[in-house]
Amino acid sequence: MGPGENGGRAVPLRAEGLTVRYGEFTAVDRLSFEVRPGEIYGLLGSNGAGKSSTIRCLVGLQRPAEGRLRVFDDDPLTDELLVKSRIGYVPETTLLFDSLSPREFLEFVASVRRIDPEVARRRAEGYVRAFDLGNELEQPLATLSNGARQKTLVVAAFLHQPSLLVLDEPLNNLDPRTVRIVKEILAEYVRDGRRGVLFSTHTMEVAQQLCHRVGILDHGLLRGEGSLPELRRRIDRDGASLEEIYLNLTRAEDAVMDAVRSLREL
Amino acid sequence: MGWRNALRLSAVGYRELAFQAIYAVRMGNLLQERREVDLRARTARRVLQSKIMVATLLGFMGFVGAEALDPRIARLLAPGAPPAVYAAALISGVLLLQLSFLWTTGLQILPTFLSTKYLPFLESLPIPPEDRTRTALLLYLRIFDLPALTILLVTPVAFGWALGSPLAGLATLPGALAVVLLALALALATGSFFVRRVQGSPAGLGSAALRWLFLVLWAVPAFAIYAFISFSPEFLARLTALTLHPTAALTALVVAFPFPFGFLPTLLAPGMGPAGIGLGPVDVAALLLAAAVYGALLTLLAAWLYRAPRAYALLLPSAPNGARRGPGPLHTTGVVTALLRKDLRIASRSPAYAFVILLPLLDALVLGLSTFVGHPAPSDVFRLGASAVSTAALLATFFGPAFFATEVMGYSYTRTLPLGVRSLLAGKVSLIVLIYGLAAFLVLSFTIARVFQPFLLVAFVLAELPAVVAAALLEIGLLFRISERRGLAVTNLYTGAWWAAIVTVPGIIVAGLPLGSFFSFGGDLGALGVMAGLALAELALVLPLALAWARRNR
Repeated sequence: MGPGENGGRAVPLRAEGLTVRYGEFTAVDRLSFEVRPGEIYGLLGSNGAGKSSTIRCLVGLQRPAEGRLRVFDDDPLTDELLVKSRIGYVPETTLLFDSLSPREFLEFVASVRRIDPEVARRRAEGYVRAFDLGNELEQPLATLSNGARQKTLVVAAFLHQPSLLVLDEPLNNLDPRTVRIVKEILAEYVRDGRRGVLFSTHTMEVAQQLCHRVGILDHGLLRGEGSLPELRRRIDRDGASLEEIYLNLTRAEDAVMDAVRSLREL
Repeated sequence: MGWRNALRLSAVGYRELAFQAIYAVRMGNLLQERREVDLRARTARRVLQSKIMVATLLGFMGFVGAEALDPRIARLLAPGAPPAVYAAALISGVLLLQLSFLWTTGLQILPTFLSTKYLPFLESLPIPPEDRTRTALLLYLRIFDLPALTILLVTPVAFGWALGSPLAGLATLPGALAVVLLALALALATGSFFVRRVQGSPAGLGSAALRWLFLVLWAVPAFAIYAFISFSPEFLARLTALTLHPTAALTALVVAFPFPFGFLPTLLAPGMGPAGIGLGPVDVAALLLAAAVYGALLTLLAAWLYRAPRAYALLLPSAPNGARRGPGPLHTTGVVTALLRKDLRIASRSPAYAFVILLPLLDALVLGLSTFVGHPAPSDVFRLGASAVSTAALLATFFGPAFFATEVMGYSYTRTLPLGVRSLLAGKVSLIVLIYGLAAFLVLSFTIARVFQPFLLVAFVLAELPAVVAAALLEIGLLFRISERRGLAVTNLYTGAWWAAIVTVPGIIVAGLPLGSFFSFGGDLGALGVMAGLALAELALVLPLALAWARRNR
C-alpha cells in the first residue's frame, strides 16, 4: 500500500525483499511487509525465525544482504541519522550501561536525541511516575531488577515521541500493572493515524489483544500476514486463536504433538 | 570430584570468561562476527596473544633490570652507592614495577571475572562446595598464568645471571612469589571494593565526589609505584647518602616491602654477602626478620586467596537505601558533552577506566608538587613544569584506546541512537584533551605559585595542544577503522593488547614528536616555535584522515 492508499500519509515502515545472511546462513529470506499509519503490526515467530534480524536491520545494527527498507520513505542505510531520530527502540535484552543510573541513562538519550530539556523533563516525569520508577531512578542499573531496567528502556523509547516504535519483546520482565499501562499507551499512541508500531513477540495472547495485523515468520520466511479475521479465513477455521493459526501456518501442530508424546514416554 | 573436576570446570569457565572479555556481550556489546567464524578459537587466540605480550613486557622488565646491574650503569645511576645497596634497590624496583603491571592487568579483566556469572551458575549445581572453591581459585589463577609464570621464571634467571650466582638468582624467588601473590590479592580486593562501594553508589553530585575520592585513594598505591620508578635516580642518591651515614631511617627503609626481598639475593651474591652489603649488623638482622615476617604474612595471604575468588565472584553490587525521590529534572546537554559526561560517569564507577583518567592527573600533581617543594632554581622551574606537562600529554594519549573501549558498553543500544561517528570521535577526543588540560592546569598552578612566569609555560601547553588533539584523533580514528571491519574492539591490556599497541604507538609518536623537537632544539623560545609548528602540521595532516575514516564508518 502506497502513501496514496493511506490518505496521503507516509507509510511508517516498508520492507521489500529484505534478506539477511550470516555467511552461508540465510536468517531472513526476501521478507516484504509494511506497518501502516495508525497500525500496531505484530511480528510473530519462534526463536531463530528472523524477527530480531529484521529489527536489527531496521535500527541500524545489521546491513541487509538484499532488499530495501523505508521508514517514512527514507532509507535507513543512506539517511541513517534521520531514520534513527524517528525511531524509538526497545531491544530484546536489557543490556545497558550498568554504571549509569536510569536518570543518567535518560539524560544521555535525551541529549543525543536533542530533546528540549523542559520537554524531556516533563515526559520523563510522566513516564517515571506512571511506571513507578521513582525509587530506582538514582541507583545504578547494575543494582536494579530486570523489570526496572526494562521500564527504563521503555521510557527512553517514548522520550522523543517517535513516529515509529520498534519494540522487541517489550513486555518481558514487566509486572502486570506496567504491562497493562504499556498496552494502553500503545493503543493510544497510534490513534492519531500517523504513527506506527512494529511489535515483535512470542506471546500469542499479547499479539492477539494488541496488534491490528500480524506477520508470521518461520525460518526467515513470511508464512502468513493479516488481521485475525483474515488469518482465520486463510486457514479456514472460524474462532481459531492466533496460537492455532500460528501452529497451522508454520506446520508445527504435528511437531508439537510429537514432542509432547516423546516427553510423556520419558 | 576433587582437583581434577575443578580443573575441568575452570577450563569451561575460562572459555566463557575469555569470550566475555573479548566480546563483552554481557555488557551490551554487539556481536558482529560472521557465523562461520570459529569465535571460540578466535577468542583463545586473542587472549593468548595479549597474555604473551604482557608476559614479554614483564620478562623484559626483569632482563632490563638485571642488565642495569652492570657497574658502568651503576656508576651512572647511583655514583658512590655500595654495589649491594644498588643491586637491592634495583631488584626491589623491578619487583615493584612487576607488581604494578600485574595488578593493573588483573584489574582490566576483573570486572569481567565478577560479571561473567559462571561461578554463580555453578552454585546452583550439585557440586561439593570445596570443588566450587577450587574451581573459582583455578579460574582466577588461569587469568594470570602466563604473566605470573614469566615473573617466577625470568626474575631468578635474569638476576642469577647478572649477579653471577644461580643461588643468588634463586634468592629472588621469594620476592617474585610475593609480587605474584600480592598482585592477585590486590586485584581481587580492589575488585571487591569496586563491586561493593563504587558500582552500587547512587547518582548525584555528592555521591559522585565521594566515588572519585575513593578512586583516588584506590589509585594512590599503584601511583606510588609509578612515582617510585619516576624518581628512582633521586631515590638511589638518597639511599646512597643514607648508607654512608646510617640512621634509623635506613633501618626503616630496609624493612619496608619489598626491600627485604631485594636484599636477600645480595647476601648470596659473590663479592657482596653480609660483610660487603654496606649495612650494619642491626640492619641486616632487621631485614632478615622483616623477610620472615613478610613470608608469614604472604602465607596467610595465600590461604585467604584460596577462598576469596569464590566469595567475591558471588558478591552483588550493594544497592543504596535511598529515600523515595521524585523524578526531578533531566539535565540535557549537547551531544559531545553528553558523551563526555557519560564516559566520566562510567569511569566514576569503573576503577579500570578511572585509573587511566587519574594517572596523568596524579602524575601532574606529584611532578607539580615536586617543583613547588623542591626549591628548584627559578631557571629550572620552566624545565620541570615542561617535563610534567610532557608526561601528562604522553600519558593522556597512551590511554586513548581505553577510552574508546567504554563504547562497548551498551553498544547494541547506542548504535540505534542518532549518533554520528563524528560526534563519537569528538566526544572521545574531548575526553583526552580534557585530561591533558586538567593535568596542565595542575602543573601550571604549582609552578606559577613558585615562580611567576606563566607566559612560557602557558605557551608550551598551548603549543603541545594540537599534537595531543592529533594523537587522540589518530588513535580513535584508527580504532573506528578497526571496528568497521571487526566490530567494536575491546582494547585493553588483557584482551586487546595487540590492538592497543598498534594504535598507541603512532599516537605516542605524534604526541611526542613536538615535545622531542622542543627539548632537542634547546628548549628556548625558538624551540617553542618549532614545536608549535610541528604540532599544527601534525593536526593538519591527521584531521582530514580521521574525518575520512569516520565518514567511511557511517
